[in-house]
Amino acid sequence: MSVAANQDSSGVAAPKVLIIMPARNEAARIEPLVRELRERIPRSRILVVDDESSDDTSKVAAAAGATVARLPFNLGYGGALQTGYKFAIAQDFDFVVQMDADGQHRPADVPALLDRVMAGSCDLAVGSRFAKERTGNAREQESPYQMGTIRSIGRRMLCLFARLGGLRITDPTSGFQALNRRTLRLYASSWYPTDYPDVDVLLLAHRSGLRIAEEPVEMAPSPRPSMLHSGWMPVYYAYRMLLSLWAVSAAPRSKANEEDGRGHSTPPKKEN
Amino acid sequence: MTQQAELARLRELFLSTPESDGTRLLAIAGSLLLSTAVLWLVRRRALREEYTPIWIAISGGLAILSLVPGLLKAITRMIGAWSVSSTLFFLGEVCLVVLCLSFAVRLSRTSVQLKTLGQEVAVLRAVLSEVEASAPASSSANRKHEAD
Repeated sequence: MSVAANQDSSGVAAPKVLIIMPARNEAARIEPLVRELRERIPRSRILVVDDESSDDTSKVAAAAGATVARLPFNLGYGGALQTGYKFAIAQDFDFVVQMDADGQHRPADVPALLDRVMAGSCDLAVGSRFAKERTGNAREQESPYQMGTIRSIGRRMLCLFARLGGLRITDPTSGFQALNRRTLRLYASSWYPTDYPDVDVLLLAHRSGLRIAEEPVEMAPSPRPSMLHSGWMPVYYAYRMLLSLWAVSAAPRSKANEEDGRGHSTPPKKEN
Repeated sequence: MTQQAELARLRELFLSTPESDGTRLLAIAGSLLLSTAVLWLVRRRALREEYTPIWIAISGGLAILSLVPGLLKAITRMIGAWSVSSTLFFLGEVCLVVLCLSFAVRLSRTSVQLKTLGQEVAVLRAVLSEVEASAPASSSANRKHEAD
């Protein structure tokens, strides 16, 4: 079992990197993904957060060399992600990459994403299907990624929301992110909207004074039907997102490092 | 104009009906029953003390309404209702809305606590699996042996 090496060959403590993958019933896809990640980013630890799968996701992931955090009940995507953040804080990780376990995000893009936060030029790097350049205010380009009409309109609306909040982004629903400790602390706090973390999270981070940058990545279409495709869900989603954005606007400005005090049980630091 | 006056006269007529002693007794009995039930539930540990104030307040309000003569009619005049029973329905509905909202708030708090607890459990499971994996092989073998 490979545990992230804490020291490189020169004996200097290397930053600890954790890759978080929330997974629900991904036993069929997770194994090659974990192996490829271990090959590409050898000095990292992979945490699969098993969101109450009914298949062998936990076993398969552990056998492939990932650490598994199995939730006792279904918390949904955001709740599972936040479990990963809390683990990262408890285990004193310096940098975190979060990606989907369904194969939508490619391990090949992880190093570039990670480099951006590790270089210190930003606190949060977001993998974008639509960004052209590696800039903080990315310009849009024609992406090979195919999106339906409804989703495309939804994306533009979310971009507009972000813009109103003072944030220029091209891919507001991207769950492919790399973050440093400042962002991690905010994400593990109770300000993090665990219901549908999307553009509201980015605005929360922006509001908290974190520097956000986009990194162009390629994404495969999600193998699962998106919730935005079915019936009334888009309307409900829009409603929830507006409510969440409004709730986020209650968060204090530019105090990302003082978020811990909101009565959460997460220890900010723990010896291990 | 005459129609307005006529309506006002009719409403006075409605409101001047004598209060029935039977209804009054029923209300007093209801209020006593409610507060007794609340206290009994607390004693049986079926109801937590923190939930009692609102119920005691409701039964107290009912008692005051039925004991103070003319109070209900005064409220009825104030809110512009025609009959005492609509005032009662109105007050009852207000109480229910307040109760539901307070329950929704408590439920939200509980689900956040539950979420946090679930996350803690998952984190601890992950840490435990790490510790077991990095522990000497013999001790983990012992553990497996014991588990069998």
